[in-house]
Parts: sequence; C-alpha cells; structure tokens
Amino acid sequence: MAKSHLRKCLALAFCVYMITACSHKNVVVLVPDPDGRVGSITVANAAGSVEIDTANESTAIRDAETAPGAPAEMKQKDIDKLFGQALAIQPQPPVHFILYFEKNSTRLRPSSLAMLPDILSAVQARRSEHISVVGHSDTLGDKSYNLALSERRALVVQKLLVKKGVDEAFIETTSHGEENPLVKTADNVGNPKNRRVEVVVR
Amino acid sequence: MKLASLLMLSVAISIFSFAPCVAAEEFVGLVKSVEGQASIARGGETKEVVAGMDIKMGDVLKTGGDGSVGLIFSDDTIISMGPRTELAVEDYLFEPIEGKLAFIARILRGTVAYLSGQIAKLSPESVQLVTPAATIGVRGTHVLIKVD
Repeated sequence: MAKSHLRKCLALAFCVYMITACSHKNVVVLVPDPDGRVGSITVANAAGSVEIDTANESTAIRDAETAPGAPAEMKQKDIDKLFGQALAIQPQPPVHFILYFEKNSTRLRPSSLAMLPDILSAVQARRSEHISVVGHSDTLGDKSYNLALSERRALVVQKLLVKKGVDEAFIETTSHGEENPLVKTADNVGNPKNRRVEVVVR
Repeated sequence: MKLASLLMLSVAISIFSFAPCVAAEEFVGLVKSVEGQASIARGGETKEVVAGMDIKMGDVLKTGGDGSVGLIFSDDTIISMGPRTELAVEDYLFEPIEGKLAFIARILRGTVAYLSGQIAKLSPESVQLVTPAATIGVRGTHVLIKVD
C-alpha cells in the first residue's frame, strides 16, 4: 500500500520534472512602438489563442498542445532582464523622404530642396551605409521618356547627397518611370505628387 | 530547322539562367548592427555575420553566447536578436503594387524583438512570427519573444 503510494509520488515527481526540463516554454510580450502607440497581437496554437492589446502584457505558452496562458503584466525590469540585449542592438527605424520636382524637369521644388539637411542628419544619426534613391515621374508623355526623366531626377538627388559628403558607395539609385505613382492617374496626366524622388535612409 | 531549334534552345537557356539573377537583385534586407559572434546559413553554407551584409529569404541566423544582431528589411520591418538565438526568414515578399506581401519568421530559440513594417500595415494577416509552441499574429506593433 505504502509502496504503491511512494511509486505514484515518484512517478508524479518525474512527470513534473520532465515537463519543466523538456518544455520549450515561450514568452511573448507586447511593448509600445517607438512613437508610444500600442498595437495588438494574437498568440495562438492548436489548443487556443490569446489577444493582447495592452502595453507590457505578456503570455506564456508551455508547449504547442497547451493554450497560451492568460495575459499578465511583465515588469519593466523583467523586460530589460530578458530582452535587454535584443533591444540594445535594435536598429533605428528607416526614414523615408519624398522630394518633389517641377513639371517635366529635374529641378527640385524649393520646399523639397530644403529637406536636404534633414536627410543628411538622418544619414548621420544612423551612420547609414544603405540609402535608396528612387526616381519617379507622372504619366504625362511617353513611358520611355518618363523612365529617363525619373532616372535623371534620381541622379540629381544622388549628386546632391554626394556633394554634401555622403559616400557614393552607400547610395543605391533606381528609377521607376511612371510605373509606380504615388497618386494613381490615367495615362498622360500630369500630377505634381508623382514627380518625385523617394529617399530611404536605413 | 536544326539551327532554328538550336537557337530557340539557346534563347530558352539564356532566359532561364537570367531569371534567377534578376530575382537575386531584389533587396530583401540587411544586417544593420552586429555584436559578438553570429552566423548566417544560406543554401548549405555558413558564414560569419558582418554589418552591411544582405539578408535573403531562407536565411537562418544564429547568435553565440555573446552575440546580438539587428536586421532591417526592405518594408522597414526590424528584427533584433539577443544571444543564443536562432531565427529563420521563412517567407518574405514585398511587392505592394501587386499586393504580394508576406513576412514569416521562425524563432527556434533565444530572444527576439520584432518591430512591424509596411507589410504588417498593409496586410496584417500576411505576418506570422512562429515559435515552437505558438504563432503570433500582429497588428502594427512591437513584440518581444523568448523561446527557451
């Protein structure tokens, strides 16, 4: 009697040990975006799912056959302890700039030219070695002309950046012609929003 | 006749051999920051991770005990990995004009921070962060994941 009880106890202890030792416990935490906004996540497996839409709420999932645990707040110091190194290496989000041009021209609009210092400080802040410069046009005129125009626009921006000290090797220049408009229009329609160069600083 | 078919064959070969080159040119992502030891496995080869290197679909990244890595994808998604972490870029597609969007990352172990980009904004259902015990769906957000 006592012997079988002991055996049961041992078996139970062994089970508990196996579960803790072998489980690939997962923890998922929702944290605010860099701008302070809080999104939402769904954590799901075959056994169930949990929704989280509150900052610093977390769920623990024991294994794929066990439903994710009820959301619980994770203290900031625990977040730092668990994820400090992953967060320390997190790159700054890329920045996008849109520079507009005069009609059928490679001349930058004054308000866009004025954005150059912002681009340069974004390059410096990120020590960026990966800058995309993508030229576009509106649909006025024929396709091949617009492809060439968008290419010339991209080159103008590339040269401006190089002149201000950005290493040419870090700039990747491409041109999309009229194929990738910001505002969709019929063919042969002039649109100031489509006469542009997009710069992405990563 | 023989010449014509030979010509066709050579055209076909040149088209097929050219196609992968074009696909390879597409920018998927880059290693923005790296500290300590980290490796990247691509097509059976393993290399050391260095800052500035390109990331491709199918890559598996691993960090050592002192390693950490920060990645930026073409849609602005940011993934960063702490030490002793293994992550696979299982699917990546960012062609917003055609509406072709996919982001699937598998976290095999370690600690990962995910910060959503344009794919999550345009099509949240196209983003999946897969762990051994669950799959995480996101709505434009910042998530921390730990896999023991």
